[in-house]
Amino acid sequence: MDRDAARPVLDAEHAAFVQGGVTVSVASRDAALHSSVSRAVGCRVSPDRRQVTVFLAGMGAQRLLRDIATTRTIAVCFSQPSTHRTIQVKGSDAEITRVEPGDLEIIGRQLVGKLGELVPLGYSEELVRSVFHADPADVVAVTFTPDAAFAQTPGPNAGRRLAA
Amino acid sequence: MPLTLDAIRDCFEGAVPGLVATCAPDGTPNVTYVSQIHYVDPQHVALTYQFFSKTRENILANPHATADLVHPLTAAQYRLAIEYLRTETEGPLFESMKAKLAGIASHTGMTGVFRLLGSDVYRVQAIELVPGRHLAAPPPERNLLAALRTASQRIAGASDLAGLLECALQSLETLFGIHHAMILMLDARRDRLYTVASRGYPTSGIGSEIPLGLGVIGVAAREGTPIRISYATAEYSYGRAVREAAERLGMAGQLEVEIPLPGLAESASQLAVPIVTGGHVTGVLFVESPEDRRFRYDDEDALVALAGELGAAIHALQADEREEEAPRAGSAPAPVAGPPVVVRRYAANDSVFLGEDYLIKGVAGAIFWKLLRDYANEGRTEFSNRELRLDASLRLPDIHDNLEARLVLLARRLEERSAAMRIEKTGRGRFRLCVHRPVQLVEVAG
Repeated sequence: MDRDAARPVLDAEHAAFVQGGVTVSVASRDAALHSSVSRAVGCRVSPDRRQVTVFLAGMGAQRLLRDIATTRTIAVCFSQPSTHRTIQVKGSDAEITRVEPGDLEIIGRQLVGKLGELVPLGYSEELVRSVFHADPADVVAVTFTPDAAFAQTPGPNAGRRLAA
Repeated sequence: MPLTLDAIRDCFEGAVPGLVATCAPDGTPNVTYVSQIHYVDPQHVALTYQFFSKTRENILANPHATADLVHPLTAAQYRLAIEYLRTETEGPLFESMKAKLAGIASHTGMTGVFRLLGSDVYRVQAIELVPGRHLAAPPPERNLLAALRTASQRIAGASDLAGLLECALQSLETLFGIHHAMILMLDARRDRLYTVASRGYPTSGIGSEIPLGLGVIGVAAREGTPIRISYATAEYSYGRAVREAAERLGMAGQLEVEIPLPGLAESASQLAVPIVTGGHVTGVLFVESPEDRRFRYDDEDALVALAGELGAAIHALQADEREEEAPRAGSAPAPVAGPPVVVRRYAANDSVFLGEDYLIKGVAGAIFWKLLRDYANEGRTEFSNRELRLDASLRLPDIHDNLEARLVLLARRLEERSAAMRIEKTGRGRFRLCVHRPVQLVEVAG
């Protein structure tokens, strides 16, 4: 990809956005180009913004995790329900990594952010907690280097590459 | 037992946005939220094509995709392996998705952004329940099958059209908990629907009209498919829309706009189901509610089945009305007394006024004028459906003339507008004009 090695794909504002109360959805694909998908429970961006780690409930993401292990391709969609603001980040070096100390706290904080977004829209708290639930022992981390990021908010600019 | 699409239809109501993942030919995956995943039939779903997105670019090159759905009550997630087949840009599927999308757009503040260009149809190859935390589903509010069974029995017992329509609307209220409903019949020759029965509105709106193709009712009739909207949307609201359409279509002179359409000002959920008789759409059963997402797939199924019963019963009663039986002996005619009623008829559109008050126009207006003339000239009060059918001046279409529906409409309008005259049924294929005040007929040319 045409990534400038000197500048990370995500700028500081993007990094704050994806680690707020947004929903995080992850896709990959197998060798036959069949896609797989899972809703993630949170994400962490490295301080230099060159690495993004998404957290998944492993039990419900087995096929996705197998595809990531095999093809290392990944697409992650971050969406803020109250504004529809959505960005998608892609990578080609995804791998399963260790859950670090503090990651479960990040997941907990981001769940509170999701509740703050979704409950005012009419979703029940227990529905939101169930959809974005992961047993601490079942949390799997997937880390990748963003190659490109795209605006995906519904409308005429959807699909436009984001300039960091 | 493998999961079926029918079993997870609540996931398609759009309460929780679905996800769709695709893959480009170069192996780059893509994932996006979708505003609507539409249940087509037990083997197919459809997605909205709104603008040329990465998802669309991908599926045209590589048709294999994966959808992720959430059950709005249990939080259970389902993954569907789907394969893109084709895009439809008109017809029943397209129109029902377009109407549904208008409701979703309005509900989510995306009116003007969401616009349907096509319905992308996919074959569902596999359905998987995602392991995770699920909530217990609350018990259903009512048993629709039991309601349908009782309603069907009542409908089968109706002996005339007016009673049948009343029975259907009453069943909707008492058995289905649907408080606002109307039944419209199609005037195929004039491309419009007219209201013959309603329930739950301040004024009945009997006789009001909607052009074919306008709003959920007009589209349901034109496409012969149920149209269901779960949220309030100006795009499919009636009221001013009827007048605007009348002007746009140059129908202002002919469309019934004197009688306002009944309807909820704050309608959120709307469902229009075509009534099919002998393979043709002959009317529409319409229900609405101020509540969001009041009507779901199961309600649609129940009302389609009910409309089927209604269509069959209308068909049977129409055939029945072609028979004639001897008129029942009526009560002695009430004495004609009081000041005369001036009845004016405008030949241009067969509109009839009682004094200064508009009564009706079109075919029902022409019928009423014929009855009054025969009454004034010959003193006749007994009439048969058959003679109306044979009267060339009424210009009734031959086969599906819905004459009985016109008579129901006329009888209801008289009931609502005047105590001076009424129409009562006197037997199969027969009715009586009852006049309680002297009438003075005035024909206005032009």
